[in-house]
Amino acid sequence: MHRVLQLSNHILFVYYLLSNLIYLVLLITAIFKNTLHRHRLASLRLERLKNSPFTPPVTLLVPAHNEEKFIVDSVRSLLTLDYPELEVIVVNDGSGDKTVDELQRAFELHPARLLYIPDVPCAAVRAIYSSWTEPRLLVLDKKSVGSKADAINAGLNAATSPYICVVDADSILERDSLLRIMAGIFSDPSRVVAVGGIVRVLNGCRVVHGRLEEVRLPKRGLEVLQVIEYLRAFLIGREAWAHYNALPIISGAFGIFRKDLVKRIGGFRADAVGEDLDLVVRLHRYLQEKGQDYHISFIPDPTCWTEVPADLKSLARQRARWHKGLLDALWPNRDMLFRSRYGRVGSLILPYMWLFEWFAPVMEFIGYSSIIVAAILGLLSRQFLLLFFIFGYAFATLISIGSVLLEEMTYRRYSDWQEVARLLFYCLVEHFPYRQMTMIWRLQGIWQYMRGDLKWGELKRLGAGAGA
Amino acid sequence: MDFASRLVTQLGPVAGMVLKAIFFSLLGILLLIAFIVIRRWYRGRYFRRLNERTFALRQIWDDIVAGRVPGKEWRLKPLDCEIVEAILLDSIETATPDQLPPLLSCLRSSGLLDMRIREARITRSWQRRTALVALGRTRAPETIPALAEALDASSKETRIAAVRGLGRTGLPEAAVPLLDRLLANELRMPEHTLRNALANCCRKSPGVLTPYLNQSQGRTREMIARVLGEVASPELGDELLILAADPLPEVRASAARALPAALPSIALSALSSLARDPEWFVRLRAVVALGSMQHPGRIRPLIRALCDSNRYVRQRSAWALARVGPHLENVLAQVVETQDSYALQAFISELERSGAIEKVIEVLEGQADHYPAEKLLLEALTAGRKRIEAAMTAAAAGGR
Repeated sequence: MHRVLQLSNHILFVYYLLSNLIYLVLLITAIFKNTLHRHRLASLRLERLKNSPFTPPVTLLVPAHNEEKFIVDSVRSLLTLDYPELEVIVVNDGSGDKTVDELQRAFELHPARLLYIPDVPCAAVRAIYSSWTEPRLLVLDKKSVGSKADAINAGLNAATSPYICVVDADSILERDSLLRIMAGIFSDPSRVVAVGGIVRVLNGCRVVHGRLEEVRLPKRGLEVLQVIEYLRAFLIGREAWAHYNALPIISGAFGIFRKDLVKRIGGFRADAVGEDLDLVVRLHRYLQEKGQDYHISFIPDPTCWTEVPADLKSLARQRARWHKGLLDALWPNRDMLFRSRYGRVGSLILPYMWLFEWFAPVMEFIGYSSIIVAAILGLLSRQFLLLFFIFGYAFATLISIGSVLLEEMTYRRYSDWQEVARLLFYCLVEHFPYRQMTMIWRLQGIWQYMRGDLKWGELKRLGAGAGA
Repeated sequence: MDFASRLVTQLGPVAGMVLKAIFFSLLGILLLIAFIVIRRWYRGRYFRRLNERTFALRQIWDDIVAGRVPGKEWRLKPLDCEIVEAILLDSIETATPDQLPPLLSCLRSSGLLDMRIREARITRSWQRRTALVALGRTRAPETIPALAEALDASSKETRIAAVRGLGRTGLPEAAVPLLDRLLANELRMPEHTLRNALANCCRKSPGVLTPYLNQSQGRTREMIARVLGEVASPELGDELLILAADPLPEVRASAARALPAALPSIALSALSSLARDPEWFVRLRAVVALGSMQHPGRIRPLIRALCDSNRYVRQRSAWALARVGPHLENVLAQVVETQDSYALQAFISELERSGAIEKVIEVLEGQADHYPAEKLLLEALTAGRKRIEAAMTAAAAGGR
């Protein structure tokens, strides 16, 4: 028993040290990459991209399920984006509410008998509508099979542009975000096959008719903690992984992809729990197998604002689902692990995802239990235990403050002194009990996946994007 | 310290390591917080001063531009110099040809232009890149040599900044160093940036591109042709005809893109033949170009394209035909004559999409008594609709 505990503590110590070291490397990489990106932005003029005849058209795919409250404002806001050639395809995924009626009323929709060829399999499309007032808008009304991926696939079949951008119906894109994200493609169109933008927390912001009027930090602590999490995940994690061309995920709320490639790999996997992660991993697999020189990029300035759960129950569901989605994307691609054929993806990012993302809550749980048991049994000195906890706390806080620093150095969306002070304060307090709660929710996700419970679950929304 | 060393002695070397890690983490936290606070304070102060000085300089702006305020009063103060340069460059970018000379003269006489040229030549990294982009914004021809030199820089970022700078001058002379290097295969950079720069430089004189196009081959030829396709003017008529017969399909597609800019008598026949090209995307481009022309002669080649084997060509042709003008019933009659169900289906779909179908049906119904042939058309229309519905159902079933 004593030996087992000692061995387990050693493993945990090494695991913890390694994960912190990786995060430190990611933080340093992200600071370097962000500085570089800011310099690049200084010479980039968006209006030139907008007026350029060489800027390719983009199709925005908006899957919508029971979005009657937001859909009209959301579509209006998308249609006002700064982009020269835009097509917006809303896919009504069998909504039980008046999503289509609202669109019909606002945009004078009429049935259009367009040739629709389902290159990528998806549930039946019941009707296609075009608008008398807005020629760039197309609405597909499809049967629901309870999958967002299936709705995106239907839109993918109808898209006419070489690039598609998937946007959540309840999210808000900044006016120039499409141009900014496409700048990532223009930097090297022959290599860049997909680009992700940053997703930020909409809660607390002032939104008028689907447009973001004022950025504010949310009032509730639970939401502020998620702001820090999003900053850390996007400004450190994604930025750094993209630098090493090993970005494992482009957020489902906002990302741009080359349409032909997405079609070639069979579109989004309809039964995937986390369709965004699954797609990017499959893209990596396909391109590595073909031996193509490619880059999946992340750009931190194109911004999509999205509502995050404001209550514990919804947050728990979301986090469990995210963790299920992680395993659901990793398991089918387990054969890529440590295979030289898959380059950095197989040898670096996938092992990282398995060990330090998927397995993290398990290790954390074992860690807490075994350290406490060892301390009780006198196998571990209490002083050492205390030191170890202080180190864990201090290092995790350092990383979180690093993400606030990146936000400060780059985009400064939270301009108020008070808001920055609040962000810093929550960096100091996020490790207890929020972190432990997240661990439990993620463990629930693993348990649900093992039981075969792959449901999305409803999220309670406040309607931050609903309007003034 | 005493406590720490006692702890290390008591707990062993690992504890020492953890202690060090705690110390560095806490130090890191303090430094980061201090950096954030100091940076915020500094920026606040800087912008306040910037605002004050901008206001003060704006009060005497006309005198600065006219040279009545001697340059030495603002040139040697870094913040003032930064403000004046920013205002000058912004004004130059939006200036009309008659507003430009005094602004450029101010830039030259104050020595700002020379300073930037020197920076573009002797500095490195981001300072050089900033200078290159600023030089481009001046639209002054004397900046071209410095910008051209930077095209040979070892850093890709610097080369991109130089290309952007050359593009921003908007001068045909600025295209020459770009094209020279492109032809010599010495310019490696994103195509989108290069194309934009060339298009900006050659918009007023597309003729600059033609000698280079004639000398180039392969991918370079395709790229120059693509730019020419965007900036073509009527004077390039004959050149475009030669391009329309080019062996490279991408070049033929670019010719098709450019041809609407030529005289209709030349363009129509060339586009009609490009609409029969073996490559589908050349045909597609020709159909798009035909659709953008106003000549009545375009209808026949468009109807032929409506029977194309490629669905994109058919769709685009249908799109163009559904928008040709008021007498769509005549077009419909010609489409029915082709006896091509796919063509009819594409056209009817597009009529529906454009909202013109009700008008066409109205006209046909109103004339049915006088022209029995139109009764047939109505039948065809109804049959076509049914076929589309059947196709939609089949497609939906396939999706299932």
